[in-house]
Amino acid sequence: MRKIGHQKHYYLMLLPGMVWLVMFSIVPMSGIVMAFQNFNPGAGLFKSDWVGLENFKYMFQLNDSKTVIINTLIIAVGKIALNLLVPLVFAILLNELRSLRYKKLVQTVVYLPHFLSWVIMSTIVIGIFGYYGVVNTVIGMFGFDPKLFMADAGIFRQLVIGTDVWKEFGFSAIIYLAALTGINLNLYEAAAIDGANRWQLIRHVTLPALSTTVVLLGVLSLGNVLNAGFDQVYNLYNPLVYSTGDILDTWVYRLGLQNLQYSLATAAGLFKSVISFVLIFISYRLAYRYADYTVF
Amino acid sequence: MKRNMALLLAVVLLGLSLTACTSSNDSSNNLKAPSTPDSNAESPALSGDDLAFSRFPEPVDVHIGMVVDPTDKTLPEGDSVSNNQYTRYLKEKYNINVIVDWTAATGNDFKQKVSLTIASGKLPDGMVVDDRSFMTKAASSGLLYDITDIFQQYQSSQVKDIMASTEGRALENASYEGKMVALPNITVDTDGVHVLWIRKDWLDKLQLPVPKTVSDVEKAAKAFIDNKLGGDKTIGIAGPSKNTFPYSTFLVSSNNMGGFDPIFGAMDAYPGYWLDNGDGSVSYGTTSDNTKKTLALLADWYKKGLIDPEVGTRDNVGDPINANQTGIFFGPWWNGGYGNGDSFKNDPTANWQAYPVYSDDNKWNVHMKTTGSTYTIISKNAKPDVVKAIMIMNNALVRDEATFDLSVAVGWYPLRNVMAAANETEYEYVELLKVLKGETDPEDYNKPNSLYKLMYADAKKVKDVIKPPYDDLNVSNFNTANFGDFQRLYSIMIGDRPFTTIPIDKKVFSVTYNQTPTMETKWANLKKMEDETVMKIILGQASIDSFDKFVKDWKAQGGDEITAEVAELLKK
Repeated sequence: MRKIGHQKHYYLMLLPGMVWLVMFSIVPMSGIVMAFQNFNPGAGLFKSDWVGLENFKYMFQLNDSKTVIINTLIIAVGKIALNLLVPLVFAILLNELRSLRYKKLVQTVVYLPHFLSWVIMSTIVIGIFGYYGVVNTVIGMFGFDPKLFMADAGIFRQLVIGTDVWKEFGFSAIIYLAALTGINLNLYEAAAIDGANRWQLIRHVTLPALSTTVVLLGVLSLGNVLNAGFDQVYNLYNPLVYSTGDILDTWVYRLGLQNLQYSLATAAGLFKSVISFVLIFISYRLAYRYADYTVF
Repeated sequence: MKRNMALLLAVVLLGLSLTACTSSNDSSNNLKAPSTPDSNAESPALSGDDLAFSRFPEPVDVHIGMVVDPTDKTLPEGDSVSNNQYTRYLKEKYNINVIVDWTAATGNDFKQKVSLTIASGKLPDGMVVDDRSFMTKAASSGLLYDITDIFQQYQSSQVKDIMASTEGRALENASYEGKMVALPNITVDTDGVHVLWIRKDWLDKLQLPVPKTVSDVEKAAKAFIDNKLGGDKTIGIAGPSKNTFPYSTFLVSSNNMGGFDPIFGAMDAYPGYWLDNGDGSVSYGTTSDNTKKTLALLADWYKKGLIDPEVGTRDNVGDPINANQTGIFFGPWWNGGYGNGDSFKNDPTANWQAYPVYSDDNKWNVHMKTTGSTYTIISKNAKPDVVKAIMIMNNALVRDEATFDLSVAVGWYPLRNVMAAANETEYEYVELLKVLKGETDPEDYNKPNSLYKLMYADAKKVKDVIKPPYDDLNVSNFNTANFGDFQRLYSIMIGDRPFTTIPIDKKVFSVTYNQTPTMETKWANLKKMEDETVMKIILGQASIDSFDKFVKDWKAQGGDEITAEVAELLKK
């Protein structure tokens, strides 16, 4: 009790966040019952007909459900992997630069796209990959016919992953750069005296020092394995790329908000949440085991 | 000191989050708290138009959810969505206070808001929804006011005439299980008649005749590209964007700018429509052989580079048209004029003309639209006075629209519901031509409460906008000084000319324009399959043979079941 009294200002600071969490995350959870009902807005959550697992059965009968789950997994896993790797490489390369001013400049420029929303970014991406865009102009110089990239289901996933990495790698690199500054300079000095060249310094000093950070970030991002990025895909896709570009979130959006199938959409959303929850649980266990990181 | 600062910070944050909570609570409470005292002041003496335009003795608060156009800049400084010339008009003349509970931007934002509002079961007193499935969802959930009686009592004579001009189709459209649950909008029939829009000045430059058939269109598109009339990146034929569709369908049966509807019509194909086979059976137009043939043709055009290479992925249908990159597109009467204003601004000589596309045996086939596509729905919790107020707001707009200062976009009118006689545009075309030729005088049209509510206003300005000679109107006949007037009259006199002056050989109506019960669960999947297949075939990503597989899958995954339901409707 004395302890709490001593720390009451911390609890006070915690309060706004808790209020927010309860209002916007805990209370709305009651809506989950819709997934087991034939939801009728007039009757509300308490009086709608109970249908048990009907919505889930129907969901898995739809051909779409398989497609969107596969798409979601491929896109999300691709993003997780590349969003770990690219910023890491970038941060190490940047760290090797001698000119501090140039380093700062590059860092600022590459992390700017992070602050633009996908609504704007999508227009830029569609412009770049458009029929008369930069990419087609360049491949045109080599005598190739222009190609309509945005309508090509074969490369849509790669495009989504690639543009996401392009948007985020500068920002993600900040964590690595911070970890890099934490490496004891004596280590480099000692290695250099032992005759290590630059490559060997990276291989034997920098990378081992960063390994905990990499593992930690990788493990924590497991919870995102079903988050393929609604706003990005929604702003980039079109019916031509549904077969490879439609993801769980866009599917739920179309079902629930455009076709008014509230219960089915809730069921799909719940399915996603349950899987994500399990993954987050696993990731925290792994984080504890491999990186000695705990939240609770 | 540090601790005090932390405490202060916490208090400030807490305060912020609490105000956020209370303000959001407020707005949801507003929905349920109409402050109207129950006035028993309804005077039984009034009837007819006196009742339809009666003033409430006590102020009546009407809570609405409203769609706004975020790009609109016509609202004067200081005015707002709930305080502008239209709301003040309603307050002064009828003692109606309009309270806007929420606004959302046109398009998906608004749809999303409406969808969530219905899901929450807490409707504002009135809102205009732009999809019939919203109305049926709300009605089947018991959220809507049965306005059958109040509408009968309160409709103005004008509204009555306009409703009658649809021969009962509008009433049926706004009804659910025999009860009238919405004010329907009634738009002109010509909104569903899609025509060929072509740059006549480009044709003249190449000394080409006006295209009549599908192969003529192909030749014109090829000639435009070969001669680079739209610059190096000339596009033969503009097409749908990533958000629009290659043809209109029974659910969205009109206003499909940039679709290929006239080409399908010329091939006697009606994709997206439920067709009466004449023997008691129905079929879905997309699955027909003629649709397959048309898709093969469009795929061939795309391959030849005649159709916009970026079709289906563009952000906006109008872009290549307004940039004058293309000389051909398809759409209804208002697409030239209202729909492509920037094209004229960028090139004042852009002589867009509208024509039908004929089949090879010289027939003009057209699919016809439903009566209207938006619905003013009223919450079942609304007070009777509020319902009456909404009726009066609709009557007032129909009567007085022509007298408003339209420099403030009429979209700001609360619960704006378009009600036009089904043949308004054709009537105006014929009569305006008479005014131009001096056969009639604008004052001849000065009839209050006329069925054709904008006729008088248009008659007065037509001579300022259109210069002689009147026999063959081109863009050079038009004065663009008042651009709004120019757009309207260009659309009527050029865009509606085909529908007014050329008889249609075959008018195709869909057996139904609404969803059947099975569609509620299965249509989304079938539609997605259809959109994907059609666009892939046109773009050459799938061969035309994949069409047969699509038809088979479509039937197996619910299409047959739905077809049977639609056939049932035919029996009634």
